[in-house]
Amino acid sequence: MANRITIDPITRIEGHLRIDVEVNNNAVSDAWASCTMWRGIENILKGRDPRDAWLFTQRFCGVCTTVHAMASVRSVEDALKLEIPLNAQYIRNLILIAHALHDHIVHFYQLSALDWVDILEIPKADPVATAKLAESLSPWTRNSKTEFKAAQDRVKAVAASGQLGIFMNGYWGHPAMRLSPEVNLLAFTHYMQALEYQRKALQVVGILGGKTPHIQNLTVGGVSNAIDLDSTSALDMDKLETIRVLLTEVVQFVNQVYFIDVCAVAALYPDWFKIGKGVNNYLAVPDLPLDSAGSFYDLPGGYIVNGNIGSVHPFKTASDKDFRDGVSEDVAHAYYHGDKPLHPYKGVTDPDFTGWDGDKKYSWVKAPRFNGAPMQVGPLAQVLIGYAQGHPLTRKYAGLAIETIGSVGHIQVTPGMLESTLGRHGARAIRAAMLAELAQKHLQLLIDNVGKGDYAVHNPPVFDSHESEGVGTHEAPRGTLSHWIVVKDGKIKNYQAVVPSTWNASPRDASGAHGPYEASLLHTPLARPEEPLEVLRTVHSFDPCMACACHTFDPSGRQIAKVKVL
Amino acid sequence: MRKVLIGGIGNVLLGDDGVGPYVARLLAARYEFAAGVEVADLGTPALDLIDHFTTNDAVILIDSVNTEADPGTVLLYRKPDIMRHSPAVRMDPHSPALVDALLSAELFGVAPADVLLVGIKGESYEPVCDLSKPVKASMEQAIAEVLGELDRLGVEYRRRQNPAEPGIWWATAEQMETPLAT
Repeated sequence: MANRITIDPITRIEGHLRIDVEVNNNAVSDAWASCTMWRGIENILKGRDPRDAWLFTQRFCGVCTTVHAMASVRSVEDALKLEIPLNAQYIRNLILIAHALHDHIVHFYQLSALDWVDILEIPKADPVATAKLAESLSPWTRNSKTEFKAAQDRVKAVAASGQLGIFMNGYWGHPAMRLSPEVNLLAFTHYMQALEYQRKALQVVGILGGKTPHIQNLTVGGVSNAIDLDSTSALDMDKLETIRVLLTEVVQFVNQVYFIDVCAVAALYPDWFKIGKGVNNYLAVPDLPLDSAGSFYDLPGGYIVNGNIGSVHPFKTASDKDFRDGVSEDVAHAYYHGDKPLHPYKGVTDPDFTGWDGDKKYSWVKAPRFNGAPMQVGPLAQVLIGYAQGHPLTRKYAGLAIETIGSVGHIQVTPGMLESTLGRHGARAIRAAMLAELAQKHLQLLIDNVGKGDYAVHNPPVFDSHESEGVGTHEAPRGTLSHWIVVKDGKIKNYQAVVPSTWNASPRDASGAHGPYEASLLHTPLARPEEPLEVLRTVHSFDPCMACACHTFDPSGRQIAKVKVL
Repeated sequence: MRKVLIGGIGNVLLGDDGVGPYVARLLAARYEFAAGVEVADLGTPALDLIDHFTTNDAVILIDSVNTEADPGTVLLYRKPDIMRHSPAVRMDPHSPALVDALLSAELFGVAPADVLLVGIKGESYEPVCDLSKPVKASMEQAIAEVLGELDRLGVEYRRRQNPAEPGIWWATAEQMETPLAT
């Protein structure tokens, strides 16, 4: 008989992502992804000034603040057909890149590494052997016996105290954990070091954006940074130099630590290249524009249907007509009123909460579809779409990852293996390495442009009484983000945000087609169904974020996930 | 110089969840603080809280809380009260919030000894930019608790002669017209 397992973290007033899986013979036979919280924040924007929208959208989510700010100003600029100065593009691009590097590092080390790394094996490791192993993998200078020993001592102290603290809820000793004590120690040491480098990436966002977590330098038509190479109150040479130094350190961490660790973990869990494929339609938008109009980009976009990499459809621009016309949202299984899929410009957010029912409605997330089909978004989609188009930077780092995994694991790796749970981690590391290179490029582009005497940062928007529509997109750390705005008489008439995790955490649609999380979990083997580590591995590989942050502290102690086996 | 963070936590678009940022902005508008004190609207940070714990000597946070108490009740939690909870299973980047951040900072051996959470029991977390009446009425007490903690820590502050505009940009016009005790 089938068992039903529910994973439902009760960390907030309403919780966030909930996963239900049906288990038959120790494998997942069906899955449901749901968001347990009402998503109606967009309604707050109706009637407001479009120039202020980004301040509000920046508060959609406490983790992805800047991405929602950026998509919002881009949506208004698209509606007004407003170009922005080159400096503004470069400054925005640098903020987006720095935020993404921060986010990818945090995701791997803080949010998913411990799915693969067994903390309780660490005391058994030999720090000397660990240093030797590390040296064979990377030139990272902090791979020293001293650092490994210090990290191991911390874990030993925690284990000896009997108070596992931050490690209390891990699935330690689980049969699906298979790294040697030395590899566990290596990864854990980098988990601690990662905190320093993600902070440096965030400092770059702070210098350019004025503040973190909520940047202050955006404006519809550009940015509000004053550029004056000789004034300490403006963006001057000193600040640009500080950014260069910070980026250099972050880039080094990405190349010598994060990228290598992901490849090494992947090489040591090769069976996870066969698990977690799921929906193999992929969608990404072009990003990091290189001109004022947004006609050339450093990251390519497009879409792939049924894993057919040979027939990729490229998007020419970030608001490509094919993209604009192809998106709709279905609410057949979401807690909203509505009887047919609607385009975001016509989108309605009218709640109809009926309680969790896997056969009927079960999620607050709408089901976005592209040309009627569910799409997987995120670094994997972006890397596959770039690879398929022969994008040189994507090919460079995808090739390096394939080579590194192959040499560590003595296995033959093909690009098709990226379509898996581990492939999503691999693709994120490939993307991070690409962004690391682009960070330095865009900083130099900014410096060179300013060096020519161009200090322009803003083109003022002009509103008229006509109704106009615009889409602002951003290829965010978790994938394609789009904000859809309808402006009339200088006010917001309608606003919809279709966020990356909406694509990936989508419930079924009217035809019954699973969303990407759901499809990726099907057939996953579970060693111990009551400890569904394998489910978490695949869900975490998408980097879920439900974009509806409510942050109330619950002092009653109910801050643990409810893993229910029915 | 002692580094002290006074941080308002919460989502200003979700009703009473916005009380933390609101209180932080009122404090910054009305008072001047000794060097080393930072007053910040932190929004809804998750793991970024670790950085705040590792880079300050004392941390005072203001956040909405979920308890059995009546809406608007102000409750204080010290470090051990927060640390006795289990960390969450990390489903998404929001999950590792206050408890996890503090436990992580403690693991790295750098969490400050002085941590105070000034909690305010919320009434409604619907997507609106206003606070409920009981929560709004509780803000003066929350401010007094923050100042009391500064007194206890021996950190100086003084009332501004001309209070600044608190910059509650998200609030509706109607709410802004409601006079706040200053």
